[in-house]
Amino acid sequence: MFTTVQDADFASTVDSVERGVVIFIKKLCPHCKNMLKMLEKFQRFVPGIHIYTVDSEECPESMTLASVERVPTVCVIKGGKILAKRTGLMNPREMEAFYESA
Amino acid sequence: MKDTNSFDVLILGGGIAGMTAAIYLARANLKAVILEQAICGGLCNFTYVVENFPSYTSIHGMDLMQKVRDHVDHLGVAVEEICEIERLDIGGTEKTIETEEAIYAGAAVIVATGRKPIPLCFPECEQVHYCSICDGFAYSGKRVLVVGGGNSGFDEGLYLLRVGVAHITLIEVADRFFAAESAQHDFLKHKNVKGLRNTRIVDLVLERNRLKEAVLENVNSGKREKVPIDGIFAFLGQKPSTNFLQGLVDLDEDGYVLAKEDMSTNVPGVFSAGDLNQKRYRQLTTAMSDGTIAALACERYIGTSRVHV
Repeated sequence: MFTTVQDADFASTVDSVERGVVIFIKKLCPHCKNMLKMLEKFQRFVPGIHIYTVDSEECPESMTLASVERVPTVCVIKGGKILAKRTGLMNPREMEAFYESA
Repeated sequence: MKDTNSFDVLILGGGIAGMTAAIYLARANLKAVILEQAICGGLCNFTYVVENFPSYTSIHGMDLMQKVRDHVDHLGVAVEEICEIERLDIGGTEKTIETEEAIYAGAAVIVATGRKPIPLCFPECEQVHYCSICDGFAYSGKRVLVVGGGNSGFDEGLYLLRVGVAHITLIEVADRFFAAESAQHDFLKHKNVKGLRNTRIVDLVLERNRLKEAVLENVNSGKREKVPIDGIFAFLGQKPSTNFLQGLVDLDEDGYVLAKEDMSTNVPGVFSAGDLNQKRYRQLTTAMSDGTIAALACERYIGTSRVHV
């Protein structure tokens, strides 16, 4: 359901995404697990949207490229560009509003 | 129009108490559902290392909770996570709970919504955190203030040291630390930590929205000092997640449920298990005990109700 992205393909992945979301996470991070579960529900609200995950510990270059310091951080990608970023928890409705407003 | 899903028991909360109750109910051939606002595991998910759970000498809190969740799944218990409760009707014989996606009906309810961390009163500061696993690595090589001298404060402090935080000042407003002696020893033996009792945080100094200093006050002498810090991790204890029970179930003045020995409440068919109950000790093992008792009492309640129908 979600696609895992590595440092080597982060930039090219963002470039290629027309409408999507990338979430920076970390293993054993409870808020990250919460947000992944939330994004599963969000996907039902916005069918066809692509969701990508980046492990912050394995992908420091991606963190730098996206200027992300903390997890979980959600980035909205539209037209191959990161248009908005938010760190912390959201429910599916808040996520939908955040995505639409970006 | 929302679907109505019928169960024998509706369990509110998927922490250790709720999941233990679910296991016992499943083994009693009762159909139960766990409705969890976030993800299953509760506060234990935020514990870096659990070292007092019989059967594991040392295990990450989230790993332990995943094992319990696997057990729940193995028994076929329904689980709904990221689940916002919109309406609660638990006063009558049939209990109903409405979420934004569906309506759940059952003969009994076990409330196991636990507790939530108390926030620090500086909402304007973005460098105040409540989870070192989530936010700690951003402070590698930096200075951090840990607020709270209980088990969480010391355990999370130890985790922050592991991710390379340069210096930690840990403060506790009381005249002693409340963490386990072993945790205190493991933390305070480091040269780059400082533990201060009788100390509270009274103000923050921000520069261009970045935290620069915390103003600490000795509660006995009133003496204040500024401590240079880059971030704060606050572990001030918890408050019960029982606002939604106000007016429905008897609570004490702090919001804890006044459950009886068998975990029943003043409302027939409504049971309460875990940290949200008024009691002295709150541990994983005591929550499991509550969950077990609630499930057994619930099973008896349902059996008795059906005999009388």
